Amino acid sequence: MPYLADLEQSGIPTVLINYVEETEKVKNDSVLYGIPKLRYVEADRKSPGGVEEADRLLPLVLEGLTRPLTRAEKAGGRYAPEPPRILFEGTLPEAEKFYQQTERIPRILDAEWSMYTDGLPVVIPTEERVKEMLTGTSHAPDELISLQRDFETRPQAGLFMQGMIRKKGEVIKFMPTGSTATVEQIAVNAVMAGCRPEYFPVVLAMAESGGCTGDGRSWGGGFIVSGPIYKELGMNVSYLRFGPCNPANKTIGRVGSLIWRNIGGWKESVTGIGVGLTYGNPVTNGGFIFAEYAEGLPAGWKGLNEMRGFKKNESVIVPFSPGAWGIGQEHLPGVYRSLQRTGHGAIARFLDVKGVVGPHNYLEFLTKDIWATREGGFTLVMPPQVAQDLYDYGFKTKEAVYEWMWKRSFVTVGNYRQRGMGDLITNGWLGIERTSGKHWRELPDDYMVPAGGDGPEAYTIIVAHGDETAIDRFGGGPMGSQTYSIDAWR
Amino acid sequence: MAEKDKVYKCLNPVGKHEPVDQSPLAPRLTNLDGKTLHLSICGEADIWVPLEKRLKGDYPDVNWTVKKRFHIVPDELTEEERKTTDAVILGVCW
Repeated sequence: MPYLADLEQSGIPTVLINYVEETEKVKNDSVLYGIPKLRYVEADRKSPGGVEEADRLLPLVLEGLTRPLTRAEKAGGRYAPEPPRILFEGTLPEAEKFYQQTERIPRILDAEWSMYTDGLPVVIPTEERVKEMLTGTSHAPDELISLQRDFETRPQAGLFMQGMIRKKGEVIKFMPTGSTATVEQIAVNAVMAGCRPEYFPVVLAMAESGGCTGDGRSWGGGFIVSGPIYKELGMNVSYLRFGPCNPANKTIGRVGSLIWRNIGGWKESVTGIGVGLTYGNPVTNGGFIFAEYAEGLPAGWKGLNEMRGFKKNESVIVPFSPGAWGIGQEHLPGVYRSLQRTGHGAIARFLDVKGVVGPHNYLEFLTKDIWATREGGFTLVMPPQVAQDLYDYGFKTKEAVYEWMWKRSFVTVGNYRQRGMGDLITNGWLGIERTSGKHWRELPDDYMVPAGGDGPEAYTIIVAHGDETAIDRFGGGPMGSQTYSIDAWR
Repeated sequence: MAEKDKVYKCLNPVGKHEPVDQSPLAPRLTNLDGKTLHLSICGEADIWVPLEKRLKGDYPDVNWTVKKRFHIVPDELTEEERKTTDAVILGVCW
């Protein structure tokens, strides 16, 4: 929409062809970007072959470019919403009823949609509670959420994202509406999620990342904490780290989806079209956060904070985008222990090391066919023993593991052409293949290309506490090189 | 006052959108002949396969330019290209 707005405002008439399900978002976005009367033509995505649909659309498209403007289309104006600071005044029972209001959204079959919450009951954000939350930071309540340091983002070829330099002080725009927020407004959402004031610096760092809303459409929904703050807050880095019952993990994770809903303004089919990613991903399920157990790292393996240029004693948050859960070969923890301790069991048979005590390269078993039905990197959350075994085997750094896994992901161009994401990642085979520097269409079918992401940086290892030697594996990982200091928000 | 009757001021969790000037649309074309019309193709290509063919076939006196991208973000016209472009048809993402 920014592109269309720019064209219209520079005097070039446009018409948009959109699918009919997206019309409400088109109307919404055209106001947000300053061209409220944008002309659009609705297409039906179910038209077989598209020929009849093209016949129907053609005169409508050309009419959009030639029919003289109406009075309304020639008019200007200003969109300047002023949401009140005090949303409701009344007793707590009345407030609970108010904040739990819902509306029906036609495009999702009139399903109910919470107007102020994530669908769950919330802690009512009274002035007193918000004031208490604000004691968790030294930042002023009326300060706009902005970047706390300069940093450079890494280009991501498959997403057509250029690398860019972002400057300290840049005001954060929360997508999909591009709204801004003050420290106080984030505190309101933190209260609603059930956070304690001591969690607030983590929440503010999440807000600094844009609440993991990306460009509003997809990606994100999760956060990793690295650094000693996990101990201060009592975050669970051990068994059931992804499960219920830990207040810090659950409430801080929840704030992300409230920020997306309230600050970013997500309203399904109106301000955004969900495709199961971001906070709509069942893995994130409305918000997802966990922390690193740096004490379990083998010597020579760095924590996520150190790998991102921070010190070991500095606490940071990294937004990430988790995909499919439980990828790779399944096994029980005892099967892993047998592999390394006695050289017996299924994994030992797979690696042909029967009777030979480890360390063995377990990753050869785990990653067999892991890219057969998916592209991209992934994240491994492993107990200290697995990390130590990999170190003893010869992976003296995490980067060495990443490099090994990425190289293992190479497939032939012939294979890559048959994959579901190939058309998108290669821009319809019109672009340049990174490893060769050649045009995709010049490459022979037997040329090897990586199915597992742009490079080793597509992989992440997080060490968690626990002696049960099973690792959590899920697709996706950190969103580029973005890392945000939690300490900057204390 | 009983606790249940106590009145509280409750804050707004919503963010604030910066004011945006609303612009009129650019003037429309009076005719198509001899004009340069740009097709900005992004997202799913399906509808565009027959549509591009129909547009070019039915309007041979139009100078058609095309940029295609399979991604949701369109491949934008450069400043130089805009100077000679009379109108843009964009779809299906934006």
